[in-house]
Amino acid sequence: MSFEKKVQRLEEIVRALESKDMSLEKGLKLFEEGIACLRDASTELAKSEAAVQVLRERVDGILEATDLRA
Amino acid sequence: MNSRSREAAAHNAGRSGANEPEPDTLALFEDFDAPPPPSRSEGRARRPAARSDEPGLSPESAISIAALTLATREIIEGAVEPLWVRGEVVGLKEHRKGHWYFTLKDAAAQIRCVMWASDARRALAAPDEGMTISALGKLTVFAARGELQLRILRIEASGDGLWRKAFEKIHKKLEAEGLFATERKRPLPLLPSCVALVTSTDGAALHDVVSVVQRRCPITRVVVAHAQVQGEDAPKSIVAALHRVARWGQADVVILGRGGGSREDLWAFNDERVVRAAAGMPVPVISAVGHEVDVTLCDLAADHRAATPSAAAEAAVPRLTDLVRHVKRLGTELREAALAQVESARERLADAGVSVARAATHKVERGRLTLEGVAGRLHALSPLATIARGYAVLADREGNPVTSVTSLNDGDAFVARVRDGRIHARAERTETLREGEE
Repeated sequence: MSFEKKVQRLEEIVRALESKDMSLEKGLKLFEEGIACLRDASTELAKSEAAVQVLRERVDGILEATDLRA
Repeated sequence: MNSRSREAAAHNAGRSGANEPEPDTLALFEDFDAPPPPSRSEGRARRPAARSDEPGLSPESAISIAALTLATREIIEGAVEPLWVRGEVVGLKEHRKGHWYFTLKDAAAQIRCVMWASDARRALAAPDEGMTISALGKLTVFAARGELQLRILRIEASGDGLWRKAFEKIHKKLEAEGLFATERKRPLPLLPSCVALVTSTDGAALHDVVSVVQRRCPITRVVVAHAQVQGEDAPKSIVAALHRVARWGQADVVILGRGGGSREDLWAFNDERVVRAAAGMPVPVISAVGHEVDVTLCDLAADHRAATPSAAAEAAVPRLTDLVRHVKRLGTELREAALAQVESARERLADAGVSVARAATHKVERGRLTLEGVAGRLHALSPLATIARGYAVLADREGNPVTSVTSLNDGDAFVARVRDGRIHARAERTETLREGEE
């Protein structure tokens, strides 16, 4: 699932939990799913800085991204 | 006459289809620097006998018209470098092979023009009737008609006439295909892990995009696919770079652009091949070409249009700090909402207890009231109530009620039930009362 989908799902879960009464069991299940989404999304945001690269086509036709300043 | 112009003359003669013997042409101009022959007076037209055999100097040595016009052409072509001229286009005809024939005129004069297909192809569009254009032309002679002719190499309309025409032609075509339709526009990803940038690695756009992405969202990877963004080869180069990005398949969004420039510099972004390639990308495309005022067809075909490469980068990536804050807030909301659910469940449970108690109490109370009602009615019917008011109830020995004189014979024993006990008695005598007698 993409970052976007995870955040969207998280928003949905929060809205569902906020808006309507549900069985305790269902609420707990949603909460657990929300926590999983939250953890994944936070992990993605904590990634390290990415490099600037150039996309080049090798003689054999394979495309590779190499660091720009290299 | 030098050998180059001689070759040119031969070439031109061949091309025009004329079959004039070249020596005549050359001979005519061997003495080109000599004073021109007098033409008006008969007397002065007479020439020394020694020169009468020179071509064209006597009726006997008259030269052909073809030789004359070819020679004229040679002189004109040799004497006049290509020039920019300005005039109004009249009567443009397009040959099926792609050559353009037209006349350029102004108030005082006109000249026939030809633009060969090889040159016409490079023009943006054919000029309209009456359009004033600047044309780079080489002066020549069209021998078959004896006309002065301009061979046009390049044309430019005054103002943006030709640009607009070319732009509108491609625009109309691609719009009809639905390439610019709003329904085709895809939303940009919230957090792309990789942004591909199609631009020149030598241009300012690269620096602008990289610095914005690194400032806003340093975790997003920027990958540049180099393309030549101006000049004749730019369209091919841009298309190839877009195709590389598509084939590579790791970009979540593509920025296609370059910094500002003249209309000519930006023209590649109106090229049909480039516009089609941009529209056909598998991931959303942000176009960022030049300045705000220049809308290119790529801008219209892209999923998102940005005024500058910097603006494109801002559209492409979120501000990481904003996103972190948003996710944190969602986490807080999640916990609060879950707690609220638990609290609500607890309240529901408590409420349910109260309801049950209330329902039970209600039922008991109703039972009691019913019971009282029934008891009251029973009481009213009971003979005990009558006895309590001072009456007696009689029963025979078997316990049957005595309600008539016929129930007892004289001397029969009976029991009288009174308020506080029974009286055992015997009937002395019975008599029947007549109607109305008390």
